[in-house]
Amino acid sequence: MGGTSAKHAESGLHHAHEPTSFWTKYVFSQDHKVIAIQYTVTALLVGAVGLVFSWLIRLQLGFPGSVSIVQPDSYLQFMTQHGMIMVIYLLTALLLGGFGNYLIPLMIGTRDMAFPFLNMLSYWTYFVSVILLFAAFFVAGGASGAGWTLYPPQSVLEGASPGAGWGVRLLLLSIAVFVASGTMGSLNYITTVLQLRTQGMTLMRLPLSVWGIFVGAVLALLAFPALFVGGVMLLLDSLFGTSFFIPIVNVFGQQLGREGGNPLLFQHLFWYFGHPEVYIVILPAMGLVSDILANHARKPIFGYRAMVWALLAIGGISFVVWAHHMFVSGMNPYFGFWFAAATVVIAIPSAVKTYNWLLTLWRGNLRFPTPMLFAIGFVSTFVAGGLTGLFLGNVIADVPLHDTYFVVGHFHLVMGVSAIFAILAGIYHWFPKAVGRMYNETLGKVHFWVTFVGAYLIFFPMYWMGFMGLPRRYFSFAAVETLPPSVQGLNVLMTVAALAVGAAQLLFVFNMIWSALRGKRAEGNPWGATTLEWQTPTTPPPHGNWGPELPVVHRWAYDYSLPGAPRDFVPQTEPEPQPAAAAKAAKAAKSEPQPEEGSGA
Amino acid sequence: MQGPALAIVIVLLVAAAVGVTVLGIWWLPPLASNWGAIDMMLVITLVITGIAFVAVHAVIAYFVVRYRRARAKRAEFIPDNPKLEKLLIGVTALGIVILLAPGLFVYSRFIQPPPDPLVVEVLGQQWAWGYRLPGADGELGRADPELFAQNPFGVDTSDPKAGDDVLVFPGSPLHLPVGRPVLFKIRAKDVLHSVYVREFRVKMDAVPGLLTQVWFVPEKTGTFELLCAELCGIGHFNMKSSIVVESEAEFQDWLRRQTTVSQAFVPAQD
Amino acid sequence: MEQEALRGLKADWAADRRTFPMSWGKAMMWLFILGDAFVFGTFLISYLAARAAATLPWPDTGKVFALHVGGAEVPLLFVFLMTLILMSSGGTMALGVAYGFRGDRKRAALFVGLTALLGAIFVGMQAVEWTNLLREGVRPWANPWGAPQFGASFFMLTGFHGLHVSIGVLYLAIVAVRIARGVYERRGDYGPVEIAGLYWGFVDIVWIFLFTLLYLW
Repeated sequence: MGGTSAKHAESGLHHAHEPTSFWTKYVFSQDHKVIAIQYTVTALLVGAVGLVFSWLIRLQLGFPGSVSIVQPDSYLQFMTQHGMIMVIYLLTALLLGGFGNYLIPLMIGTRDMAFPFLNMLSYWTYFVSVILLFAAFFVAGGASGAGWTLYPPQSVLEGASPGAGWGVRLLLLSIAVFVASGTMGSLNYITTVLQLRTQGMTLMRLPLSVWGIFVGAVLALLAFPALFVGGVMLLLDSLFGTSFFIPIVNVFGQQLGREGGNPLLFQHLFWYFGHPEVYIVILPAMGLVSDILANHARKPIFGYRAMVWALLAIGGISFVVWAHHMFVSGMNPYFGFWFAAATVVIAIPSAVKTYNWLLTLWRGNLRFPTPMLFAIGFVSTFVAGGLTGLFLGNVIADVPLHDTYFVVGHFHLVMGVSAIFAILAGIYHWFPKAVGRMYNETLGKVHFWVTFVGAYLIFFPMYWMGFMGLPRRYFSFAAVETLPPSVQGLNVLMTVAALAVGAAQLLFVFNMIWSALRGKRAEGNPWGATTLEWQTPTTPPPHGNWGPELPVVHRWAYDYSLPGAPRDFVPQTEPEPQPAAAAKAAKAAKSEPQPEEGSGA
Repeated sequence: MQGPALAIVIVLLVAAAVGVTVLGIWWLPPLASNWGAIDMMLVITLVITGIAFVAVHAVIAYFVVRYRRARAKRAEFIPDNPKLEKLLIGVTALGIVILLAPGLFVYSRFIQPPPDPLVVEVLGQQWAWGYRLPGADGELGRADPELFAQNPFGVDTSDPKAGDDVLVFPGSPLHLPVGRPVLFKIRAKDVLHSVYVREFRVKMDAVPGLLTQVWFVPEKTGTFELLCAELCGIGHFNMKSSIVVESEAEFQDWLRRQTTVSQAFVPAQD
Repeated sequence: MEQEALRGLKADWAADRRTFPMSWGKAMMWLFILGDAFVFGTFLISYLAARAAATLPWPDTGKVFALHVGGAEVPLLFVFLMTLILMSSGGTMALGVAYGFRGDRKRAALFVGLTALLGAIFVGMQAVEWTNLLREGVRPWANPWGAPQFGASFFMLTGFHGLHVSIGVLYLAIVAVRIARGVYERRGDYGPVEIAGLYWGFVDIVWIFLFTLLYLW
């Protein structure tokens, strides 16, 4: 079959006409931009619940006994659901489903995703998984309190942990549904990036946002299977009394009729998913930050090729390091050598990315609107959190720190806070494009400062708590007699900071809603950006994105401050002036729609 | 204004972090075992990562002030610099090797217990720790999870080696002799637990259906807390036990006064 | 010379528009198969790990899956027939796709429909097998012969594969009807039939692994 004829046929399938009814336009929409906003809003709402849970956790730790609903069992439930919500239902969904959907088609110059119907299905499947997640709160015994890692046997043995009945079953079902949604999304994103790029958009001209989301989607496609399989087997253990993960156990004097299961098998499956999952979240975040930094530094991203290869290297290595989460799990201790070595090797591509972000700022012409502040905040927290990975990855240094607050501080900074910073940077940065109005800069800056300082106050002290050896997932430290009393002071500080940071997010919500309705009208390209999404005929981009003609790409995405150019940015759609082929180029340029003027303010 | 403000905040932040660390306001609890090498690894890692942390933030702070927007100026077009990139990769790789090589060396000692240690079986259950020490014959009797139905330690009372095993029931402290290598053989009765003694720098999960182990030499006398470091349910935060490290003579004296398997459980009738 | 070829390959791959010279649907099916292969691979590795960890002896599969023919016990006869049917359905599917490309609407519809029928027979036989095993006392949590992980793995793996076959039967039935109605003929593109064929081929291949690891070993 001919490739070209099929291509034409497929292009024709893309939204011959715009849907007009309310339901097809805003609810069961197949437009990638609408789906992106649905994903974003849903994920942020779910995340708000996760944020409230973190308040409850912090209140108990800072002011023990101050909130009556936080008891030893509900503490574990809040903690478990907080982790699950934040990692999967907020970060993964928002970065892939939200930013992936919004940016991929616009940045590669296509009218929509390859499979708009599948895209819609992906969102609604995600929606169902969220319903199931919350349904688990209302069943007998409540939601699971086995930690977001759901380690068996305790997660599925009734009586061994809170919510070990229908709570964990609904959660596992929800995860299985989420995996289905994530897989549908990933297939769509990967196919779209590989097959639908507009003329001139070679792989090495893709903006790093697209690269980050693309590699993240590939990781999702190949890592979610392990979560799915582990989840199904755990569900069978819970529902049908199989013994995949449960050996002979005796719970409170009761000998259970299980036999011959291996709890470590689940840990391997979980972390075979769980480690790439970290990168499913952070690689898209890295991509967004790269583009935002370059734009507001008015400078090309430093070492674009190295950035791409670093993304690919991190993605590849992330599949062979999973058992560094299991150094003291009782697995064969000789595995430790390999997993430690492979893990610290990841530091090299990660460091390359950090250096290149810094060198992007070097000799730039930096401006500091809110997205830029959050992007720099990302680099800072990513480094502050990432470096401590060198303790935890280096097997012997992990032994005293494993499962202490050191770990909590590490992953919150490196993939929680920094991913959220990238998301916030991205939302502020693309808000004028998505909504057509500017957000309020003053509110945005207040939001940044409280969040940035607050995040450090919450999570940095955890490192010293970890050195002191405070185990994580403790409802109270009253029983640990040999802790210095100043620990409680730290806990109070962290709780106050957490409440302040949480409150600052209300400013963000208010800013977004108010600005969407009343904000100043935004120009098509307010940041003076080079990438395609800023060159759309109208803002917000129309249904089908580009009007009658698809854009044609002539250069990479980072021609900022190009010597000799009239402005300090050259859009990707602007032809390369080639003296030899000048006549040809000039001809092509004339038939090109002129990009809108960007103020560069 | 945002540039200088960011620089000031970052400088304050880094200064505070370095200050707290150098002053040692919050630090590891005093070492009480042979694992000084682990402390050394932590210090090496802290120094290297600390340098990187300070350097990166110093650069950010400098750049956001030095290169903040000026109307008349344009950024310099510097797409890359392969030489500089290679140099940075080299420096990073070197730092990593410095961390990894000694780390793996210490780890290889960590996973190889010395010959002839004092073997102590640690049994984790919701939410307490029990212990079993070999009696006069110097060996532990057979144990099997199926036997939890018969006695709380799951010991095979018909095994001739089991009768003189010394039992430390949940709630009672474990005593250990100072200066002698100890090998914990760790079991779990119900769910995952983790043996964690902060002053000894050791940690190892207790996994039902599996026997795990960890070794150390207590080098200071005193009482230490053994905490659970793996989430094991509602009572996780209360699951602790005491370890009393004392002289060999005191230890032997304590050992003699403990209940043995044959005293505690009627041997199985055949 | 070689380097140049390599560079040429890289340039082709990185070129604009499309990385793989195929339709979007086909590209996505390949990606789906890649992801699904990871799912089945993880299932099979987990099964092997669970089997290795099992404390009780593993049942003798030759005896468990034997069929009584005139008083004699023939090991694995029934599952051999199932395998034969599924493998032949792979052949009929290939014919269906080939006739599709040749524009032979009737034959294409016939063979794709036949494939769906064979798939349905396979699922039916699987149901018979499950019923027999259940009657003999095999449960996900226990069985009369040994390790409970046997029943658990068996039902999980064949169930998950059976689900794939069932979905495939539905999928192929729809494709067959669409061929018969001339949907692809009007569009001048029988690509979707090939895409369905890819899926079916994958399900076939997975069965070979399942058959080897679950029944033969």
